[in-house]
Amino acid sequence: MIQRVNPNLKKDLLKLGVKDWNECFHCGNCTAICQLTEEDSLNPRKVFRQAQLGLKTSLQANISPWMCYYCGECSDTCPRDANPGELMMSLRRYLTSIYDWTGLSRLFYTNKFMEFAAILGLATIVILLFAIWGPPLDPTLTSEGGVKINSFAPIKWIELGDWSMAVVVAALLISNILNMFYKVIIKPGVKIPLSVYATELWKLPAHFATQAKFRKCDTKGKYYWGAHWMMMTGYTIMFILIVVFLPEFQVEEIYDWWHWQRLLGYYSTFGLLFGLIYVIIGRIKQNNQIFKFSHLSDWLFVIMLFMTTVSGIMLHLFRINGMPYATYYTYIAHIAILIPMICIEVPFSKWSHLAYRPFAIYFASLKKAASEKQYKTGLAAEIA
Amino acid sequence: MTSIVFTENGNGNGSLSSLNYDNLLTYAKGIAGIGPVWDKTELPIYDSGAMTHILKESKIKKIIIAGDEPGMLKPFLSKAMSLVGEDPGKVILVNFKEHGFFTNESFELAKTLLLFAIKDIPFEKVLVPEEHNVNKDTLVIGAGIAGIQASLEIADGQQKVFLVEKSGTIGGHMAMFDKTFPTLDCAACILTPKMVEIGQHDNIELLTYSELKSVTGSPGNYKVIIHKKARRVNLATCIACGICSEKCPGKASSDFDAGTTQRKSIYIPFPQAVPNKYMIDENSCIYVENGKCGVCVKVCPVPDCINLDEKDEDVEINVGNIIVATGFKTFDAKRIDQFGYGKYPNVITSLELERLVNAAGPTGGFIKFRTQNKKKNWIFSPESDEPKSIAIVHCVGSRDENYNKYCSKVCCMYSLKLAHLIKEKLPEAEVSEYYIDMRAFGKGYEEFYERIKNENIHIIRGRTAQVDQNGSGLIIRTEDIEKGLLIEQKVDMVVLSVGIEPAEGASSLAKMLNLHQDINGWFSGKNYISDPTSTISGGISIAGVCESPKDIPDTVAQASAAASSVLQSIMKVKTT
Ligand SMILES: Cc1cc2nc3c(=O)[nH]c(=O)nc-3n(C[C@H](O)[C@H](O)[C@H](O)COP(=O)(O)OP(=O)(O)OC[C@H]3O[C@@H](n4cnc5c(N)ncnc54)[C@H](O)[C@@H]3O)c2cc1C
Ligand code: SF4
Ligand code: SF4
Ligand code: SF4
Ligand code: SF4
Repeated sequence: MIQRVNPNLKKDLLKLGVKDWNECFHCGNCTAICQLTEEDSLNPRKVFRQAQLGLKTSLQANISPWMCYYCGECSDTCPRDANPGELMMSLRRYLTSIYDWTGLSRLFYTNKFMEFAAILGLATIVILLFAIWGPPLDPTLTSEGGVKINSFAPIKWIELGDWSMAVVVAALLISNILNMFYKVIIKPGVKIPLSVYATELWKLPAHFATQAKFRKCDTKGKYYWGAHWMMMTGYTIMFILIVVFLPEFQVEEIYDWWHWQRLLGYYSTFGLLFGLIYVIIGRIKQNNQIFKFSHLSDWLFVIMLFMTTVSGIMLHLFRINGMPYATYYTYIAHIAILIPMICIEVPFSKWSHLAYRPFAIYFASLKKAASEKQYKTGLAAEIA
Repeated sequence: MTSIVFTENGNGNGSLSSLNYDNLLTYAKGIAGIGPVWDKTELPIYDSGAMTHILKESKIKKIIIAGDEPGMLKPFLSKAMSLVGEDPGKVILVNFKEHGFFTNESFELAKTLLLFAIKDIPFEKVLVPEEHNVNKDTLVIGAGIAGIQASLEIADGQQKVFLVEKSGTIGGHMAMFDKTFPTLDCAACILTPKMVEIGQHDNIELLTYSELKSVTGSPGNYKVIIHKKARRVNLATCIACGICSEKCPGKASSDFDAGTTQRKSIYIPFPQAVPNKYMIDENSCIYVENGKCGVCVKVCPVPDCINLDEKDEDVEINVGNIIVATGFKTFDAKRIDQFGYGKYPNVITSLELERLVNAAGPTGGFIKFRTQNKKKNWIFSPESDEPKSIAIVHCVGSRDENYNKYCSKVCCMYSLKLAHLIKEKLPEAEVSEYYIDMRAFGKGYEEFYERIKNENIHIIRGRTAQVDQNGSGLIIRTEDIEKGLLIEQKVDMVVLSVGIEPAEGASSLAKMLNLHQDINGWFSGKNYISDPTSTISGGISIAGVCESPKDIPDTVAQASAAASSVLQSIMKVKTT
């Protein structure tokens, strides 16, 4: 593939938090120390090369940044202190902004003011909606002594809101993933037989659920995989509970603590809190390579999730302890944080990795399977 | 009117000096009655017309050029002065670096120097002051190839030399090698005759197993106290029969063999050691520990040769000049966790391999696996098996921000040499060499590299990142940069080409002798480019690797340079 060197790529990357990369002298240490290196899908040094040379097309087609989990080994051992792990992190931002056809992602990443404005704006709209709609603030309690939450926020309306948000977010994510597919597979002209799409499909959910690849990174007393997995499962379960199982989740009865609804809720909350506290302490203490540099988006990500979790816990406690007004106002606050978090962070910012990463793995395995197949048929033809 | 021009600004000459020139310039501007003070960049350098105009306008009668390299402006400004009819001799140089003013600690001194220049007070710091009587005797510290070369040259010039060596023998690192690059000459054939000459030279007094304790006095007349450690064997009477060693029950790891084998507590570092006498290592001698042995005394055929109760002593000498040639130590490979040195027995260092390929080494010149002896010590013995595949890893501890940033300069070449020697000893073995850049910079070096490339050795570009043990073998991970592929290679043995660092104790020596050390601990000469062996302390020179990493030819050249400046200082002045 003939490519023009793009001298503006550097400026572009600097804006997205990439640090100076002239340090790298191409020794290949990062590629060799990285436990996840795989031909064609992850090679940190080649990413460095493409960035240094301004090979924009190659960089945009490169899925390496998604295959990296930022264990930080490469940065720790890089003889030039070039920080390849941080480059990968910054490139995830770059790729997110490239896949996002609306341009909002780029805007939010490069303009702090706009990102805050969008978050606050959405939160204000949520609060205004509640104000205009004026839900009844019923002070009476249920027979069990709980708050009558469903008369304050009727399930059908909240469900409607939930689903419309889910549809919008999904539509954005899917279109971005198609764009990613175009950049990674179609544009570079990778030929993939249709059957391979089907045979490799299982990797998508499998990876999403287990994050198995990440485990290889947990060497030398690091527990990223565990912390990350708890946070991810907590988040996913909670998301499913509030969108799909809302009628079972937002209830007025106070179930026994061993009821599935409460157990799942507690697990998710614990998972989220555990993972979040691990990350927050890490980012404050900067105790490991991966926490050394914190972009604004990294902080927003954890802070908003933390606030959502905490307001969720408060909501639960107020409700079962029969504190109607506290419950109602916390409910509004909870939703006012949750909505911007999901609508902004998921499609346009750091959270999008929950979709891009499994797809990157899927695309990588497509490429690999296709080339293996091609190799085998070639071999068969040669033998015949 | 007197004017001052600064040739530097900001923090001096970066790597060489951190004196704050901006502050000096501000200071100079405030001196009463001074004419214009410029930073070099403010002047129309190389435009004589414009310059003469400035000189005339400000009625300048004298110019002081101040900085790290003031000499470069002198021709231009002298010419401009003569063009306006002034005395070109009134262009005065103030070279801060030459006076040892490298840092802001010398800021006040630098100010004084400026004032001297303005008031025409002579300040030339004389290397060896003429009015002093210079003691003709010279002290050389460190007896590697640098110290040996310098001592022989001075001694051959009919001057007395005290050669002080920390270990029990002279020879330094070169004595450990079998062959030297790029000619593959036998190292001992070059070195041993020189060592013998040192031992026999009438003008050389050799003080082995000794170190400097204190230095007082001034250039031309230094009083030096040398701490002589107790050897416990009489240098005059020991006949080096070795009977004591045979019977001695004490054991320790052999420094001379880079720890590849064990030696007795009473020992000779190696058969050709100079002085060719036995010595006792107090750290492992059982008698020294609990007073319950003395076998050596009983078996020694020479009466009163071994004195187990001998004590350390201090010797005082007076010298006029000192040459420091303390060389280096190799980088401690244990510091790099991912290479597993010290954890996996067959990850070895280049220095250990030098001893294995040496016919006088622990395995008689055969490359063998490291194995445990009966006492559970890891050693190389001639009985163990031979590896079938060996990988050499470059830049261990060098060119690495986490360890030493600098290039150790000799390891690319010695790695190529070692690859060749492995092939010579084990023609069937598979030899791979992993490097970042191949630095083959000297005469015949590139040709040597070309030659080794054709010896069926895999030379792969890429820095090895990790070594892991897998069963009895080792797995190493490297990216082949040229192919862009990750290589996991299974080998029997990994050789780490460790970098080099200033010798143990270099910093305390620097304090004692008032030497300047660069950021990495190497001693700094007066001027790295034009006067690398003289130092800011008059009468003290440096030579060999202690100044910066270099190979043997460069080391020898520097040693000769240092010797010649010592001889020059002795010849030039009235001597006692
Ligand atoms: C593995 C390896 C292989 C090499 N192979 C080659 C080669 O093939 N060809 C080549 O040209 N170069 C080679 N070199 C480089 C070569 O070793 C050096 O150029 C040379 O040894 C430098 O000599 P030196 O006298 O400066 O230092 P050294 O050889 O280190 O000698 C210094 C001496 O000073 C003594 N000393 C240290 N501190 C004190 C103190 N405070 N007081 C008293 N004495 C002290 C030490 O005991 C030592 O005897 C190799 C280096 C290594 C590490
Ligand atoms: S980023 Fe560092 S480790 Fe990776 S190739 Fe560049 S210099 Fe080597
Ligand atoms: S941070 Fe870890 S996973 Fe990412 S490239 Fe570096 S070594 Fe690989
Ligand atoms: S006294 Fe010390 S040196 Fe002598 S034989 Fe005993 S252990 Fe060896
Ligand atoms: S000489 Fe070669 S091996 Fe040694 S530090 Fe320099 S580049 Fe690395």
